[in-house]
Amino acid sequence: MPEINAGDTAWVLTSTALVMLMTPGLALFYGGLVRRKNVLSTIMHSFFILGLVSVTWVLWGYTLAFGPDTGMGLIGGLDWIALEGVTGEPSDVYATTVPHLAFMAFQMMFAIITPALITGAFAERKRFKAFVLFAVAWSTLVYAPIAHWVWSPDGWLFNLGVLDFAGGTVVHLSSGVAALVAALFIGRRAGLIEAATEPHDVPMTVLGAGLLWFGWFGFNAGSALGANGLAATAFVTTNTAAAMAAITWVTISWLHKGTPSVLGAAIGAVAGLVAITPAAGYVTPAAAILIGLGVGVVCYGAAQLRLRARVDDALDVFAVHGVGGAFGAVATGVFATVAVNAAGVDGLLAGNGGQVLTQLLAVGVVAAYSAVVTAGILFVINLVVAIRVPAPAEEAGLDLAQHGEIAYQP
Amino acid sequence: MVIAALICFVALLIAWIVAPDEGPTSERSAPAFEPEMAPAA
Repeated sequence: MPEINAGDTAWVLTSTALVMLMTPGLALFYGGLVRRKNVLSTIMHSFFILGLVSVTWVLWGYTLAFGPDTGMGLIGGLDWIALEGVTGEPSDVYATTVPHLAFMAFQMMFAIITPALITGAFAERKRFKAFVLFAVAWSTLVYAPIAHWVWSPDGWLFNLGVLDFAGGTVVHLSSGVAALVAALFIGRRAGLIEAATEPHDVPMTVLGAGLLWFGWFGFNAGSALGANGLAATAFVTTNTAAAMAAITWVTISWLHKGTPSVLGAAIGAVAGLVAITPAAGYVTPAAAILIGLGVGVVCYGAAQLRLRARVDDALDVFAVHGVGGAFGAVATGVFATVAVNAAGVDGLLAGNGGQVLTQLLAVGVVAAYSAVVTAGILFVINLVVAIRVPAPAEEAGLDLAQHGEIAYQP
Repeated sequence: MVIAALICFVALLIAWIVAPDEGPTSERSAPAFEPEMAPAA
């Protein structure tokens, strides 16, 4: 019987709380980016998911994602439905020095923030009830299977040797691709002009980015699942990549547009956090600098291309999380070294070029699965509940038209 | 207990589907939609 370690348990529970704070942080990050008539509806997407997925994760999400495999490495069984058998004793499989319930709660926070990330793509035009149905379906049909593939010891991608320390593919790539599909499905915002889409509250967005950065220490360093040197490594690589990406994004936008953008610093930091997520426990701090630099350049370019393509992924979820997640996953295959984490594998620079191919396979499979299933979910929901609000409601703003409230008094 | 919990969630799911989802500026409500009611964009 595994024994509980007090330090490990304290760190995992603390990390769980840190990751929980990321979702309200995301609400502020997204809320500041939209127009003032849609700030409440945008914040509500994240906040409601905090409640919604907390419940579905307990009922069936956790057992589908982490329950004993049904036989092909594709999905967990229903052994742990409603957390039956998940107790204060450690699991035999996951995080064997902390209570199983603590590991479950830590993973729950990941399951919560992942569909919340997608909401940035359909901001300012999605019907609330359609959003609710989408969040339930997506977290069940997309998130849970992918988490099982990558993180369950029986998962088929896990057994191929895919490295994903804290969710570059499971969280960011899956949600980023889903965001792109959702943006294409729901269409552009009515009467979209550049001047009308200026963020209504940049300080709110920067505050949100700060909370995300803070919470990300739980996300990545907590994924060591213990109070140990690996957690310290992940902590440092996380901070380093975020810092490098922030200053890189600002530099590029400064050279490109003539001013060092505050918003660019916030978005750049998030891009760096995304890219280091799969690599945090496998790479050195020096590699984290290169990853931060690379993702700053790549995601800035992706955001510019998105503008030219005139795809209304309203808050650039695909450019930051989809592209950043894919970049981070591949970079993990390049920079990983067993000198950092003996439980991992070497990457390209340590003489194992095959790891890059393994990472590319994971990127392709996760992206394709997320795209296809997300499209199917949206199609079916649209048959039951129109996904997009009527044009007058969109013009009035979703705060008033969908929630009957406004954020700021005239 | 598990079944009861699942039934409770399904009840909420049904409620979300059938609940009204448009606020005071909806096309169906009176008075008719008035764009000037909205905060400035």
